[in-house]
Amino acid sequence: MSHHLPKTQGSSGYHGHHLPVAGSKEEPLYAIGARFETPEALVQAVDHLRDQGVSLYECFTPYPVHGLAESMRLPKSVLSLLVLGGGISAVLIALSMELIPSCLIYPLVVDGKPLNLSALPQYIPIIVALTIMIGAVTAVVGMILLGGMPRWNNPMFAWDLFAKDASRGFFLAVEARDRKFSASALTELLHELGAGDITAIHEEASEGK
Amino acid sequence: MSTSSNITTTQETSELNSPDLHLLERPPQVLNKRNPLWVTDAVCSIVEGKTPLWWYAAIAFTGTFAAIGGACILYMICTGVGVWGSNSPCFWAWDITNFIFWVSMAHAGSLISALLFLTRQKWSLSISRAAEAMTVFAIVCAGVYPAIHIGRVWFVWFLFPVPNSYGMWPNFSSPLLWDVFAVTSYLTVSSLFWFAGMIPDLAVLRDRATTKVRKFAYGIVSLGWLGTARQWRHYEMMYVLLAGLTSVLVVTVTTIVASDCATSVVPGWHATIFPFYFMVGAVYSGSAAVLTLLLPLRLIYPQLRDLITPSQLDKVCKLLLLMGSCVGYVYVFELFNAWYSANPFERGAFWERFTGSSAWYAITCLSINLTVPQLFWFKAVRRCLPLVFVLAILCNVGMWFERFMIVTSTLTHDFLPSSWKDFHPTIVDILTATGTLGIFFTLFLLFIRFVPIMSMNELKATLPGAQPHGDAINSNYSAEEVH
Repeated sequence: MSHHLPKTQGSSGYHGHHLPVAGSKEEPLYAIGARFETPEALVQAVDHLRDQGVSLYECFTPYPVHGLAESMRLPKSVLSLLVLGGGISAVLIALSMELIPSCLIYPLVVDGKPLNLSALPQYIPIIVALTIMIGAVTAVVGMILLGGMPRWNNPMFAWDLFAKDASRGFFLAVEARDRKFSASALTELLHELGAGDITAIHEEASEGK
Repeated sequence: MSTSSNITTTQETSELNSPDLHLLERPPQVLNKRNPLWVTDAVCSIVEGKTPLWWYAAIAFTGTFAAIGGACILYMICTGVGVWGSNSPCFWAWDITNFIFWVSMAHAGSLISALLFLTRQKWSLSISRAAEAMTVFAIVCAGVYPAIHIGRVWFVWFLFPVPNSYGMWPNFSSPLLWDVFAVTSYLTVSSLFWFAGMIPDLAVLRDRATTKVRKFAYGIVSLGWLGTARQWRHYEMMYVLLAGLTSVLVVTVTTIVASDCATSVVPGWHATIFPFYFMVGAVYSGSAAVLTLLLPLRLIYPQLRDLITPSQLDKVCKLLLLMGSCVGYVYVFELFNAWYSANPFERGAFWERFTGSSAWYAITCLSINLTVPQLFWFKAVRRCLPLVFVLAILCNVGMWFERFMIVTSTLTHDFLPSSWKDFHPTIVDILTATGTLGIFFTLFLLFIRFVPIMSMNELKATLPGAQPHGDAINSNYSAEEVH
């Protein structure tokens, strides 16, 4: 079988373990997936993988698990910086949107009140409203894009157990592209760590093949 | 090792159901020691089950009112604002009354989900999604009025600074224009907050979908969410940021809406207490609306009784009591201030409000809002859910009369007694108002049927044993992780 999988290293190894296969066997191996019953087990598994130098893996949890991101050595989200940037540009947009018409294009004098920056308080409510609006849009759009979304297809969906109800456990997938990837060693390690449903996930056959 | 210590924690926490044993422990978020799978099934079953008959009947009923309301709006647009009872000097009448009523009701939703999230009040988790939905739908209803009350709807773009060949721009120093921006951003931000919070739960529905249509529809709206650690990392950061922004926005929006009235010189409106007045009234009516919506839901879907617990409802009642008392304080303070100001117009306006033609609704408003929330001092009242339901509806009625009193009784009795004129609603006024009620409940029925009404991921994260380091209920997951 290995000649079908030229791009992956050690991919022939897992057949010795009789792993269940998800996706199409003809397609390249995407990852070895495993399911853990508890969040502790998943965090422990991540610690082991990290110690062994595995870097291309991903954890899938039904809710945010404490300490998982730290175990994975994920950096702090840059979203707050993006939102700060969005907010600052919103202040500038709002100020120019208000000042350019009011002071330059069409000065509308009401009660003889000044229109320039000395009358700043009257411009503040709209600045606040726009800052919050643009900040919130940045936060949501940023979260979607940083999280790799929208992406409606994913090789993980080839794995029925995961695709049918990912909320039934704590999943781990180690990608075959990883430099340290060795299917047989990995399968043994995952077994030792108490993982269940260890599966070889192949990509799904594309239409027309 | 860590697993065994966790099991002990789980058992200890679940034994705390009796409040007498451990007074200082928090009540459980989910009753009856339910596990995460049960939570998923309980919430998803509402969406996945067969559409119940009552739902069709209910949506036909509310949809009819919404359609009649829509027809009235169309009639008003084609004919002119003369079909309403608004007159001179009462140019603002039911349109602005209902606008303020709806936009205020929206506030409690944002507050419950955003401010209580920031202050780590975990008890609000199971009601926050429904409260956010209520916010979005109430703003939709509120948004109907500002657009149509200008009369010539096709000029609505004048409200926005759109570069145009007339060289004409809005007046940026007017609270009415601030209002346009406040309400627009409120609708945008609360919709985003609601939708973004739903993405992980929509993905659960996508995974569990059995038909192709459902799989496709939920697949599209969940944007390919997988629940990876990276996604959660950004998601939690986004949630904290949105909660912070929304909390500020709520205060801004009410203040601006209150400024519409307070910056005018009309006696009865020209008061610095107005922003606070509107704010507490907003949370008061919104909490009442949350109770009005959740109690029937709990009755119809018995599985929700473990998720919306009596202890959580008790806390909403206490919020209602607090805000109702603040509202009562403002009423008394307003009267005191009118007397203490020694301003004859101010005194006259309040004298006229309670003795003139507006007396019947001013007294209705005061008698409801000063007494009904005070009943929630009694635990027996807070625990008797049918009574809570009735009282919550009464609070909303009282708040509608308050908005009506603030808007109409002030405008109909201004400085010049010769221009005084009473307001009488026409049938178009009434049917448009019931139409917004129809729109609100129709949207809420659609919400129950098609999206998860509770935040499953947040609920599961707070279940005992859900986190590697012990009792999740007493920990603050996002605060620690985002820093």
